[in-house]
Amino acid sequence: MQISFDKNSLIVDGNRVFIRSGAFHYFRTPGIGLAKDRFMKLKAAGYNTVDIYFNANYHSKKEHEYDFVGRDCYPAEQGFEDIKNVRKVLQCAKDVGLFVIARPGPFINAEVNAGGLPFWLLRDKKVIPRNKIGSEYHYSPKYMEFIKDWYDNIIPIIRDFDNVIAFQIENEYATDEMDEGYMRELYQMARECGITCPIFHNDAYHAGLWADIVDIYADDIYPYINPNQNWKQDHFCFDTLDNIEDTVRCFKEDAPIFIAEMQGGWFDKWDGIGYKAMRELLGGEHINIVTKTAISQGVTMFNHYMAVGGTSWDDLACDEVYTSYDFCSGIDEYGNIQPNFYKAKAINYLLQSFGLENTGERENLDLGENIYAVRRKDYGNKCNWLFVRNMNNSPTNITFKPLSLSAFQPYDMKIMPENLQLNACKIEFSDVEIFARVKNGTEEVLFMIADKDANIYLDINGKAVTVSGDKKDYDNLKYEKDGKTTQFLFISPELAYRTWVVDDTVVFNADFVYSSGRIAISKTTEIAYFDLVNGFSKKYFKFQEEDKTIGLKDFDVTFCGPEIDFDYDYSNWKAVGGVNKAFSPDALSVGMYDEFVWYKAKIPNNLEEITLSARHLFAVYINGKEVLNRNSYKYEKLQQIEETISIPLDKNILSKEQNELTILVQNLGFDKGFSGDTNYPRGLVEFSTKPECKIDFYVRDKLSIEKGDFSESESPYLVKLSTTFDVEFKDNVVFSKYLSLKNFPYDRATIFLNGVKIGRYLKNNKNESLQEKFYLINTFLKPQNTLDVVIWEKASNIKTPWDFKFEMKRVIMQVGNERIHQLY
Amino acid sequence: MSIIPEFLIKRVYKKGSLKQTDDGVCFDLKNVLGPGFISGFSFVKINDAIFGADKVKLVTQGTEIPAEEVSEEHPISFRLGQEGTLILQGAKCLKDGINQIIIELMNPEAGKVKFSLSDDFQAA
Repeated sequence: MQISFDKNSLIVDGNRVFIRSGAFHYFRTPGIGLAKDRFMKLKAAGYNTVDIYFNANYHSKKEHEYDFVGRDCYPAEQGFEDIKNVRKVLQCAKDVGLFVIARPGPFINAEVNAGGLPFWLLRDKKVIPRNKIGSEYHYSPKYMEFIKDWYDNIIPIIRDFDNVIAFQIENEYATDEMDEGYMRELYQMARECGITCPIFHNDAYHAGLWADIVDIYADDIYPYINPNQNWKQDHFCFDTLDNIEDTVRCFKEDAPIFIAEMQGGWFDKWDGIGYKAMRELLGGEHINIVTKTAISQGVTMFNHYMAVGGTSWDDLACDEVYTSYDFCSGIDEYGNIQPNFYKAKAINYLLQSFGLENTGERENLDLGENIYAVRRKDYGNKCNWLFVRNMNNSPTNITFKPLSLSAFQPYDMKIMPENLQLNACKIEFSDVEIFARVKNGTEEVLFMIADKDANIYLDINGKAVTVSGDKKDYDNLKYEKDGKTTQFLFISPELAYRTWVVDDTVVFNADFVYSSGRIAISKTTEIAYFDLVNGFSKKYFKFQEEDKTIGLKDFDVTFCGPEIDFDYDYSNWKAVGGVNKAFSPDALSVGMYDEFVWYKAKIPNNLEEITLSARHLFAVYINGKEVLNRNSYKYEKLQQIEETISIPLDKNILSKEQNELTILVQNLGFDKGFSGDTNYPRGLVEFSTKPECKIDFYVRDKLSIEKGDFSESESPYLVKLSTTFDVEFKDNVVFSKYLSLKNFPYDRATIFLNGVKIGRYLKNNKNESLQEKFYLINTFLKPQNTLDVVIWEKASNIKTPWDFKFEMKRVIMQVGNERIHQLY
Repeated sequence: MSIIPEFLIKRVYKKGSLKQTDDGVCFDLKNVLGPGFISGFSFVKINDAIFGADKVKLVTQGTEIPAEEVSEEHPISFRLGQEGTLILQGAKCLKDGINQIIIELMNPEAGKVKFSLSDDFQAA
């Protein structure tokens, strides 16, 4: 595949291509089966490209070792191979017919743990991650050695796929000095490793950063990043996008305008507003406005970030985000289609039908207050396109001489053709939007979105004809000229949502359609088909599935923190000697990167006080009894609040001559590295005693259940609730299941499905949990499943196993279907 | 630490705009970064003189906004391309030649935004 470009667009094998990309994280959507499902949905919705971040940390647990299969995944014996198989992911994208934008970082941000940098790398004191400390540039040869090693391992896989059309170096990179050495070296390294497609960088600041180094300048655009902002009121948030053509042309004149991350949703945080509320705020309108505005500015390469939501299972998440990385994306975390996907689909189909990859001569029009209006010349279709956006909060009549746009809906944006020559007529102007066009040599059908306030103004053999957009589903008009036909077929906006165009066949009324042509329904439905050879046909499809919810009440309850027990044998743990104020056994220093890290030590009975700081949640036990249990995860004004706590000790606590200290720290993830440093310490970051003495600690990572240690404990602080449930797998049935922890009475829990850590339940400092439903990732489901929920309780709430068992009878825990589809 | 590199934030300051007023100092800002909000002014320091929020006003789009009235609850929008004049009252602290300026303000998305710069001033 030959990839080149000019000012207007990417050119693939000599043909201009408008890149319509959606971001997908294979690590958050593990398994080839899920990747295939998501890719086929993207393709069926008119995306022609998938954007893939490659997460170095996901693949590399030790220096020079990379697992691109999944053999080191726990529990290995379960055979979850292929969840790290990037070659199969890329092959799947190719088989489905998608181009790929490859983004191997190694720094990727993506709200992943340490921004995607391997933990072992962060531990090396000679390494300066990303060649910067804060915003100061510090070149680090050791860091460059790692990048070379990573590139030498990941690029040969990427290089094997000729559908990779663009390659990104670094991500959102800037330093105060803006020294070019690092970025130039990265570019050169990628070329030397055999990358032949255009190379770009993703500039988070729209400031032309590194534009002179890369082939194509690209930036990211997120008009809505503050959940407390109402973008409908503060619509100047689109200012950057509204000026992007002029801005980018100052940076790079000879390359297409590329938005490497164009807002498709946004991520929620531990102290956020929840994805449900955020989806309501964004609605379908936001992606419609963002995408159409970008096209109005001559953008011919965009990537909706994210197009596919995912799950930060295991330790994938950085500290900011909870388990769900739904991102309000078009295809949600569960793989289900959301309203913003339908909007994106409609835009993709228009682009698929008419190209718009060769436009110019933008004309800004003043059509009234809070109206954005742009006209662009389309050299390919020899017409103009008018882009109009209404940010008034009520339907607005827009005068557009000699015409007018009546009752233009608030927060809507349309792309409307002017002087578009068709087979048998010309559209002089239409504010009835075109949904899609299918055509062959002599026939064409334009699917129009019915709108009672809009019209199509036609020129039929020199005669002006106005066609009202006030139409019912499937109403149609046909014109003929010189043996060629043009047909207009109307569908309501609601039907347009459920209409899919796959290989020139149009399928109406399906929940979704795979690019293979299979349709999915969730209720008994009449599906209509249309193609130019056979015309219309209809068929009933019966939905027979039973939607069963499984109530979980019967739990085995065991105490599972033997590490807390007095006299627990920790002699085989890693020894960390001489801990005091000057030397802390933080996670990186001791090489324990897991979410949970245990610290044990003997302490003398003459101590008056211990002082410690730990990130993020921790508890201190002395001789098997809790003396402190703390959530230290606090942010104020976007800054993490440091917290150091002193615990006074007395003879009641230090009851023995040699006392046993146990500290359990839950690290919610390393910094993602966007504004902070990825190697900012986690775990026990400060420890000292009064009177001052050095303490010899022993450390170990993970909960006992993750180590395969199921021995029961005397200590009641970690409690494992275990149960089983069955799942029926059927051919032609697609399901997505959840575990509901609604009204869960505990503050913290870690969820394991068949031994795989799939979620963190945590009440934040407002005593609320923003995530009460957890995706039971299909890849990890089996016919018979084991579910373990490990609760970490405070001393004030401890109970006997029987009390827990009794309490759980009253708690509603369910396994249910988020959605269930039958395929035909 | 701010999300935005300092060299970019500095572009908001209009070089050469530093002026002495009857009871203080003023200079101009222009938002060349992107649309956003200011949710608080912490202080402005010129050479050794510190101006707290009670001594700072922003004049923009014909409106005078006391910095004290800007808060997380009452942020002010600062659009891309929007200009404004920051008026500091209380001390005539400019000297001929290079003056050191530090500005610290709050942004809902970036948190604390602090930047240092210098500008030339010559008394008439």
